[in-house]
This record gives sequence, structure tokens and C-alpha cells, in this order.
Amino acid sequence: MVNLTIDDKQVTAPKNSTIYDAARINGIKIPILCHDKKLKPFGACRMCLVEVEQMRGRQVPACTTPITEGMIIRTSTPDIIKARKMVLELLLLNHPIDCPVCDKGGDCDLQNLTYEYKVNANRFSDEKFHHAIDYSNPLIERDMNRCVLCGKCARICDEIVSFGALTFISRGIETKIGCEFEGSLNCEFCGSCVSVCPVGSLLARPFKFKARFWALTNQKSVCGYCGTGCNLTLGVKDNKVLTTVYDENQGFHNGQLCCRGRFGYQFINSDKRLTTPLVRKNGTLTEASWDEALELVAARLKGAGSSAAALATPRLTNEELVLFKRLMETAGSANYDHSAGYAHAALTEGFAKSFGAAASPATILDIQKSDLLLVIKTDSYETHPVIGFEINMAVKNKGVKLNILSDKRGKLSKLPDAQTLVHTPGSEVAVINALAKTILDDKLAAGTAAAIPGYADLEKALAGFTPEAVAGQSGLSSDAIKRLARDYAAAEKALILFPIGNAYPGHNADLASAVANLALLTGKLGTEGSGVLCMAEKNNSQGAVDMGFYATRGLNAGQIMDGCASGAVKTLFVAGENPVVSYPNRAAISAALDKVEFLVVSDLFMTETAAMADVVLPACSFAEKEGTFTSVDRRVQHIKPAIGKIGQSRTDFEIFGQLIAKLGGQAPATPATVFGEIAASTPGYAGMSYASLGETGAFAQVAVTAAFVVPRTVAVEPAAGKLALVTGSALYHNGTQSQFGEGPMYVCPEGYVELSRTDAARLKIQENDLLNVASAIGSTKLKARITPRMPEGVLFSPYHFGAAGVNQVWGGAPVTWVTVTK
Amino acid sequence: MSEAVAQQAKEQEPEVDLSIADKVIDKYIDLPGNLMPVLQGVQDEYGYVPRKVADYVAERLNVYPSQIYGVLTFYAQFHLKPRGKFIIRVCVGTACHVSGAPRIVETFFDKLHIGHAETTPDLRYTFEKVACLGACGMAPLAMVNDDTFGKMTVQKVDEIIAEYNQRPMK
Ligand code: SF4
Ligand code: SF4
Ligand code: SF4
Ligand code: FES
Ligand code: FES
Repeated sequence: MVNLTIDDKQVTAPKNSTIYDAARINGIKIPILCHDKKLKPFGACRMCLVEVEQMRGRQVPACTTPITEGMIIRTSTPDIIKARKMVLELLLLNHPIDCPVCDKGGDCDLQNLTYEYKVNANRFSDEKFHHAIDYSNPLIERDMNRCVLCGKCARICDEIVSFGALTFISRGIETKIGCEFEGSLNCEFCGSCVSVCPVGSLLARPFKFKARFWALTNQKSVCGYCGTGCNLTLGVKDNKVLTTVYDENQGFHNGQLCCRGRFGYQFINSDKRLTTPLVRKNGTLTEASWDEALELVAARLKGAGSSAAALATPRLTNEELVLFKRLMETAGSANYDHSAGYAHAALTEGFAKSFGAAASPATILDIQKSDLLLVIKTDSYETHPVIGFEINMAVKNKGVKLNILSDKRGKLSKLPDAQTLVHTPGSEVAVINALAKTILDDKLAAGTAAAIPGYADLEKALAGFTPEAVAGQSGLSSDAIKRLARDYAAAEKALILFPIGNAYPGHNADLASAVANLALLTGKLGTEGSGVLCMAEKNNSQGAVDMGFYATRGLNAGQIMDGCASGAVKTLFVAGENPVVSYPNRAAISAALDKVEFLVVSDLFMTETAAMADVVLPACSFAEKEGTFTSVDRRVQHIKPAIGKIGQSRTDFEIFGQLIAKLGGQAPATPATVFGEIAASTPGYAGMSYASLGETGAFAQVAVTAAFVVPRTVAVEPAAGKLALVTGSALYHNGTQSQFGEGPMYVCPEGYVELSRTDAARLKIQENDLLNVASAIGSTKLKARITPRMPEGVLFSPYHFGAAGVNQVWGGAPVTWVTVTK
Repeated sequence: MSEAVAQQAKEQEPEVDLSIADKVIDKYIDLPGNLMPVLQGVQDEYGYVPRKVADYVAERLNVYPSQIYGVLTFYAQFHLKPRGKFIIRVCVGTACHVSGAPRIVETFFDKLHIGHAETTPDLRYTFEKVACLGACGMAPLAMVNDDTFGKMTVQKVDEIIAEYNQRPMK
């Protein structure tokens, strides 16, 4: 600690603090404009000037000057006030004073400082800027006339987002912020720049003219899209979520959000929301009362036994999933599952066997504390963008080494010194086995490894996985495999990350075990900065696993679909899933849902699946309910309703509870009661209460009982003359729900197929050509996107879009062989 | 890239041969701090830095396209539009100004139908006003590429244009 005096107060601050930080932690406010705690010190605006006695009263910027022992600092002498006023006067010189029409009014640093420092006249005068305003995209408006050149937007887009869309252009008086060739903004639309802009230069267009900042009620919540579990503040007025409000102190991510979190909230108040129960009468879904609808469902479930089955979206709260399970048990059925039955297998089968726990023994916080990251699939950025930010910062600010094993390149591959090994699709498990084999052969395994059960079997099983043997099938050189294995083993701390989800059938139990073997072999587990993080797709995927909402005694999702087709399953209750779009093989799914006698769907929207139902129940979004979500790293977080329920919708908690009661069961009254039960019975959740979760949530413990498991590998045989189609996530989307978020749909409105330049040239395909993509099970038409990241012979298509019909082609295999014609 | 933006970008760009850029990039690819030499090299080759080339350099050197543009606009030496075969520079420094440079400038504007820092559509001429060229004794002064023309008059403007109109473009 360093001792110093600020404004005649004796204070202490940690070594390496700046004057600004030292003042802040001691409750002394120094005004800032260009400084941001998340960004590297910049020192451009001189708003934060202070006087340091030791420097003979010289004025220095507090945000960049480090403290020294005995420093005597004054933050608001008359000279300082004068200097700050001058800074403001100069800024206001070219700044249009259009606060009354500027959306930033009320939340603007420049406005607030001008008011605080009583700058009500200007000694100078100059022309205002005449920059054209960029209205070219529907999400972010750029009005550089209001810009104070603090550089925060360009810095955050580089330092954290690593997109680099914005930069300083020209020099001298002409300097401005812009994109290449003065073009319009064309980026990943995470809105980070908007969130840090101190003035009204960068504005969120969907919120424009909706409300003044002070008229909003801020409601804290947790993002309802992916499993990162980002914290959100919803700006609410008149029972409408009008925007997300940036709070730099919120969450591990300091308020950073991705495009979905920041701009995808519109589904909450969408006018497409279902508002009344619907019952099919004479073939058409007709409005009905809750009582009528629930009676029908209860009558079907009562005593149904194993002829009833349930599928739930892992977007439901933990409490809802517990209740759903109880409802099925009350009906006498053990047939319940989620995420097509395979998307959680990495946890429920893979980690369950390898670690003795269906959870990841590492957290997102380990990313920046590691020495080496091994990321399986560049899609990790697309599936969990804010985890992507953590990776960016680890690599760029902390010098963490990044290794990527992927079937294509991606944004992560562009990070400084990132090593990307692009393997043939479907060969990842073999490659990881070869890494393990190298570690064994080079005697790089930790001393503890041999004592872990299954060691001998693994050693034997890996015999065929020499780097040389795997090189052929993976398209990698044996040297590259060996180098990666040695780097991984040599790193003191190493963390492996991989995404799982509906679109990643190859990321299964075997991949999880293969990866676990690596960590166990080298002892990189259970210490800070090391371990394995399995990134599950939806906001409560890990919760669904923790609540046991998957098949243990009954049918899994795939078998349930088969059961519907065969007639064994007569009543299917689907809560929030949209299998018609998100499960593989649409023709088979549609046929099964057609066949099942009675289909109940509870959802926010009339999805493709709901449209086939006999009873449709309008459910609530996360913004209307109470409960808990568990993130990919098992952070359990509590959400409270931010708005009242839309229309007659009910939470799934209420729906399941009322049905349990109708079946004669005992339904817990509140989510809090159920969370109490969860805390009492779920491994790792012991002792948790709403109070103990607080605002930041709490981590459920993961107790590892290690074992080596031999992963199965399936050789992917290339099909002559065909291309390998792999499915996945698009950056702007998550599941099928983001199709009702306007922001994501503005930026990425439809499905597409990505292909390499080489294939495009060979097949004479141009950007945006409509291609017929056909596999053994069907075909669909997709727009072509030609990108340098795709290797020859490989196609990529995101799975979210109902209209794109990727699952007409894709039958659930990790690699689908297709032909492409114009 | 949104479709409209992509489409717009495509339409505005003339075709450029990226293999020329490849040669320049290959030369410097392993050099640390290679951005400036590469940009200078491509400008030498193409006569300016076409957008497609800038984007391509960004891709190959793994830097943000915006960053390249920042550099291109920071240094006056880079040109973002095609330049004429003949660069006409007229000095507007103090000495030249008082000896009538403004009229010389105006005359060039009138005859060539272009303004400062602009290029004729046939890519024959680019016109630039410049500050003192260091030969004030010959004021007012004009230059065409490396040829100097002192004691400029309105009539001499006609002569210069007539002469350079004859020169071959290749
Ligand atoms: S929205 Fe995100 S990616 Fe786009 S310019 Fe802003 S910070 Fe960069
Ligand atoms: S646009 Fe905003 S954040 Fe960017 S430099 Fe200008 S004032 Fe700063
Ligand atoms: S979608 Fe995921 S990464 Fe994006 S803001 Fe929401 S939780 Fe965070
Ligand atoms: S806030 Fe310190 S110089 Fe801008
Ligand atoms: S002023 Fe024209 S050459 Fe010096």
C-alpha cells in the first residue's frame, strides 16, 4: 500500500494505482471523459487534471499518472477548476449543443460536466462540424458532429471486442472517428462502443426517441440467450423493456454484452407474443380459457404413464424444470429430455464418467488467469461471444497463448500469435487422442496420472493414435500435433474450452472424455487458470443438467420422437423447444409430431412446432419471472420479474404447478420454495439461498472424481465429389429464440451457407447466389457466402432459421456430405 | 457484411489485379512493422491504394481494415484515388501568391475542369496546389511531374496543356 494525501485527506491505495484510482477507492471524485476502467489508460481529454505538490503544482492527468509514496494531490483548486472549464469550453467549441433532440440527454458525460462546471458561455467560437450522420444500419447511429474524440469506442472495439471497426481517421483538426474508407459501420454489432461513448455520437437506434433516460426503471436481470450468464439491466417503462442499460460494474464482464444480449431484447414485448391459450377445434387453433386448456392437458396426462413424454428448452428456470419433471412423474412417466437428447451428452455422459460430475471443473474467470488456452472450434466465439471477449483480453492484454483446434478458421484465429490447427471435419476426437498419445510417449504426463482409474486401458487404447497415424485422417501434420501436445503439457496453467449445443452433435460424450483425459494426464485441473470448460448452449443448459432434466430411466429426446412416430408416445408436452427447426432431420420430426395423438406446446411464440399442437399455452419470458439460471461455469443467478406478464401468459412454473394440482399432486407454491428444495438436494448447490446468491450469483461446487475413459472415435469417410457440411451457430443468434429479437434479425436475417474461395471459384459460385444444398435425406436452398476462413471442401451453415431449413439436409451427423448446385 | 453494403462496395470498385499486391506483401511478410513498407509498395505499384488492395493487405497482414485506413489518411503521402499520369502542381506560397499564382490556379481549373487534388476522368491530369516549392526566384511556379515551369503566365498554361496533351499515356 502507498500512503498519500488527496485534498488534505490522508489515504492509502494499492501500489501501481493511478491517481484517479487512488481517489476513487477513497471516495474522492475526479471527473473523467476519456478514461474507462476496462480500457488501457489513454490520457487524451485532460478533464481529470489534478495538481501534484511534488511536481511544483504542475497539472497532471489523474487517469494516467501513477501514485508514489507521500504524494500530495489536490483535485479541485481554483486553477484546476479553471483548466477543466477550459477543456469543456474547447470541446463545446465544435460540439452542436443539440441536447434537446439528442437521445443522450440526461445520460451524457459532456452535458453533466458542463452543468457541474457551470460552463454557460464560451469565450471562443468556431464552426461546428458538418459530418454526415451514419444511419446505414438499424442498430447504431453514428453522429461524429457530437464526438469529443475520447477514443473509447475505437479502443473498446480493439482491446475487448477485437473487431477493430472504428479508428481515428486523418489528423489535426480533421481528425474523426470512422470506419475504413469512410464507409458505414459493418461490424458484429455488440454495441460496446455505444455503451462507452460519453456523448451522443453513438446511439442505439432501436431505443431512439423511446424515452428519456431518467424515465426508465432499471431492472437487473440475467441474459436469456446463451450460457455465459451475462448480467443485464433492462430499461423498463410502461411495462415495456425499451432497452438494455449499460452498467460498467455489472457482472464478471463489467457490463459487456454481445449483439444478442444488447440488441436482442425485443422478443420480450414483441407483438408476436402469444397472449391467450389456444385449443385446436375442428382443425384450427382457437382461443380458449386457461381452465379449458389446462383441463384438456390434465386429462391427457392423468395416468398416462410412459405414453406421455416431455421436452423442455433449457431456457426455463431451474425451478420450472424441477416442476416439469415432477409433473411428468405425477403422470407416471420418466420420459423427459432437452436439447435433442444429445446436445448435453458431453456433460451428462462425458464429464459424468470422466469427472464424476456432469459439470465443468473450471470457470469463465479462469480464462484470463491461464497461460495457455486450447479452444476446440472457433465457434466458441460465436456461441458465447462474451466468453470470446474474455479470450480476446487474455490473449491481447495478458499474453495468454491461444491454440485452436477447429474445422475452420474464425475470429479467434486472428488474435495475435493464435495457432489454428484446421483439421478435417469430424476428426477432432482422433486429434485429441493423438495429443494424449504424444503426452504419454514423450513422458510429459503428470506423476499423478498413472494412479487414476482407467490409465492402463487408456494407454492401450491410444496405441493406434500416434500423431503419424492421425495426421492422415485429420489433414494435420504430425509435427503440428506434437507441437500442440508439448505446448499444452509445458504450460503451467492450461484451460480447454469447447462449445456444445444442438448444432454440434460431434461435441459429444467422447469429445468430452478425450478432452478430460488431456487435463487429467497432465494434472491441469482443479487449480486456478487450469481445467476444462464445456460451454453449453442456452442460458440454463447447465441448470437443466443439474436439475436432472434428461433421460435417466425413460426415453431420451430422440427416442421420444421415435415413440411419437411409432405411436408408443401418445401425449407430448413441449415447453419452449422448437424441434421442427432445431432438431436434426426435419422431415422425420414433422412426421413424428404429426403422428402423435396429442401435442401440447407452451411457448412465447407461435413457433413451427406450436403450429402443429392441439393445445398451445402462452408462456412468459425470463423478464416476467422469478427463479434461478445456472451458467456454463455453474454460476447460479437469481432473476426477478422486470415487467408484468404479457397478456394472459403464465410462467411455466405456474403452468406446471397448476397441472400437478389438477393431477392430484402437491405443487410447491413459489419458486423460492423449490429453490430451497434444490439447495437441499442438488450436489454443489448445498447451502444456497436467494440471499446467498446476491447480485453476482454463486458458484455451485464441482467435486471431481477422476477417471480415464476411452473415447470412441468414428472415422469420417469422405464421400467422393461431395462437400462436408458442418452446422453451427451464427454470432448473432442463439437457438431459435433470437429470431424474435429484432437486433439479431436486422444484422443476420436469414440462413446461409459459407464456402471457401476455392470451392466458389471451382463451382462458379458468386456471393449471394442461391444454392441448392442436397444430402441423402433432403435438400434446401441457401444463399452463398464466400469467406476466406473456410477450408476447401467444407461448408458451414447456422441452424437457427426455420425458413432456411438446414435440418432438411442435416440428419444429426457431425459431418453431412452434400452436393451443391446453382 | 450486410448485403446492401457489400453490393455498394462491389459496384464502386474498379477491378484490380491482386497478384501485384501479393508480390509486394510477399516481400515484406516476415518483416516486423511491415505495414508502412507494404502500403508504400502497393502505392508505387498501383499509383494509389485502391480499396480492394487495402482490404486485401488487411487480410494478409492480419490488421483491421480500419487501421489501414487510419494510416492511409494520417500520412499525406498516400493516395486513395487513382492519380493522373501527369501531376500538375502550382505553388501558392507567399512569393508565388503575390506574383499571381491565384490566376494561374484558376486558369488550370477552367481548362482542365477539375479542382484542387482532383483528377481528370481520362486519368491524364491531377492538379494540386502546393506550398513553397523552394524556387521563389522563378515565381510564380508550376511543375508537371518533375519538369519545372517558372515565371508562369496564363498563356503558358495553354502551352503546357497543349504539350502534355500530346504525350502518350503509356
Ligand atoms: S458495435 Fe461492437 S464491433 Fe461494432 S464498432 Fe461497436 S464495439 Fe466495434
Ligand atoms: S464517438 Fe463517442 S466514444 Fe468514440 S471518440 Fe467520439 S465521443 Fe468518444
Ligand atoms: S447471449 Fe450470451 S454472451 Fe451474449 S450477452 Fe447474453 S449471455 Fe452474454
Ligand atoms: S480522463 Fe484522464 S485524460 Fe481523459
Ligand atoms: S513561394 Fe512559390 S516557390 Fe516559394
